[in-house]
Amino acid sequence: MNLNMLFTLLRKEFLLEFRQRYAISGIVLYVFSMVFVVYISSVRVQPPVWNVLFWLIVLFASINAVVKSFVQESGARQLYYYQLADPATLLLAKIIYNTLLLLVLSSLAFGAYSVVAGNPVKDPGLFALVLLLGSLGFSIAFTFIASIAAKANNSATLMAILSFPVVLPILLTLVRLSQIALRVIQDTSYQRDIINLLAIDAILITLTFVLFPFIWKD
Amino acid sequence: MWWKTLSVILLLYVITTGLLVPLKPGITHVTPETFKTGQTAEIQFHGYNTFYSRSAASDIRIWLEYDSLHAVAGQNIRILSDTTLSAAFTFPARLPRPTTSVMLNAIIDHPADGVSLLPGAIEVALDTAAPSGAASWNQTPVSQLHIKSDFTFPYRNVIYESIRNTYFHVPMWFALMFLFIASVVYSVRYLYHPQPDFDRRAAGYAETGLLFGGLGLVTGMLWAHFAWGAAWSNDIKQLMTAVALLIYLAYFILRRSFDEPEKGARLAAVYNVFAFASLIPLLYIVPRMFASLHPGATGNPAFGSEDLDNTMRLVFYPSIIGFTLLGFWVAELRIRFQRVADKAMGLD
Repeated sequence: MNLNMLFTLLRKEFLLEFRQRYAISGIVLYVFSMVFVVYISSVRVQPPVWNVLFWLIVLFASINAVVKSFVQESGARQLYYYQLADPATLLLAKIIYNTLLLLVLSSLAFGAYSVVAGNPVKDPGLFALVLLLGSLGFSIAFTFIASIAAKANNSATLMAILSFPVVLPILLTLVRLSQIALRVIQDTSYQRDIINLLAIDAILITLTFVLFPFIWKD
Repeated sequence: MWWKTLSVILLLYVITTGLLVPLKPGITHVTPETFKTGQTAEIQFHGYNTFYSRSAASDIRIWLEYDSLHAVAGQNIRILSDTTLSAAFTFPARLPRPTTSVMLNAIIDHPADGVSLLPGAIEVALDTAAPSGAASWNQTPVSQLHIKSDFTFPYRNVIYESIRNTYFHVPMWFALMFLFIASVVYSVRYLYHPQPDFDRRAAGYAETGLLFGGLGLVTGMLWAHFAWGAAWSNDIKQLMTAVALLIYLAYFILRRSFDEPEKGARLAAVYNVFAFASLIPLLYIVPRMFASLHPGATGNPAFGSEDLDNTMRLVFYPSIIGFTLLGFWVAELRIRFQRVADKAMGLD
């Protein structure tokens, strides 16, 4: 793995996204539609419910944003990458790219949802950190699952059923942390939850790098 | 094979002793339950699995205890039946500490049955109108108890006879864990040496693990219905278990989603390893963050040392070994069946 290759691959991801602007626009529109649908069906809600609804929006938007990262590239192009780059670098580039993408999407979702449904966040610093950690965790888990699901014919269904149970520990910790940021629950020792979350991320990313070469070979 | 015989012997032992060994005598409830200081009252004690008439009433002693220094002894004890005792108590004029009411534990010491205890059996409230009375809290301390050590299971309020479910509900999870570990080991072996037999084994162990997971969930729900009042009560361990089972159901769907069996086997093996690793936070990290109705809930996902006594250990550990071996036996049959089926279809 070398940095040069990583930057080239990252640049490729951004370029690809820029050239296929309809894909990213689709996801952004998806986020706005979802925020709107959730808002219309619940209008103004109490902070605990706001928290849950917000994370549901982010979860579904993330799945839809990440699933395309392997599906959109055809088998022939995968073969081409396989000859040029090593799988670990390719995967790392995808994870970094998806983390940034999810960070942007969840910030957009937060902006849109707080405009229509109010902003109950009391600790913006912690909430921003939770969004960042959430994007990182979702990106690791979903990118890996997407690489498995992309091999099958029913990849959209597979993506959902394979990733929901795996991502649940991350989601539960995120919801808990953001409840603290919303002052829905009081907990001064939330550092432990952040460490838990980072530990889960560490387990997942290690496994991802060990296992990805087996998915890659076809 | 010797281990199949062992599992049958162990399970027969577990089922007979686990279901037939009686519980220790206990106290189900006390009537009436509320009193005032300075009052003299006749109280009835209702026993469970007790044989009060096996010894003379004069040998039975009853206390209502606040702590090791404060207790009231019962006078004029009468045996009404094998499961009912009656005694007269005179409560002191003041409470053992400055408050408006205290809960007292009931202790019955019986020469034949041994000691039985009911925590928080009655409540004594301070009677401010009548602050007099001769009785004191430490005239007759709790002493010289008849501690019995015969082969019986402990008596616990709330769960009563359902304590026997410990030998069936908990070992299911041990068997499931061992089966899932075996499944992951064969998935890893498949990734390094892609032979169809390793894939069959990984799938066979996962299927049997899922079966034991279902049984563990059902035995747990029966127990929860009895002890907690509802089969499903949003307990974090119930939720995490359901999610763990979802992961393995997804594994089977993934295995069947490919046209080429080799590709399905390889990707399913990858997912199996990934899913097993995410099962660790699911079962051991997340439950620590939430309150649970299960024993040992705060900060400890397993049993506390006070949840089992030595008699229970004599049945509990053989049960774990027995059910685990049975699980591997079922998995073996499943794998052999699949091997024959694959041969018949020309896949092997």
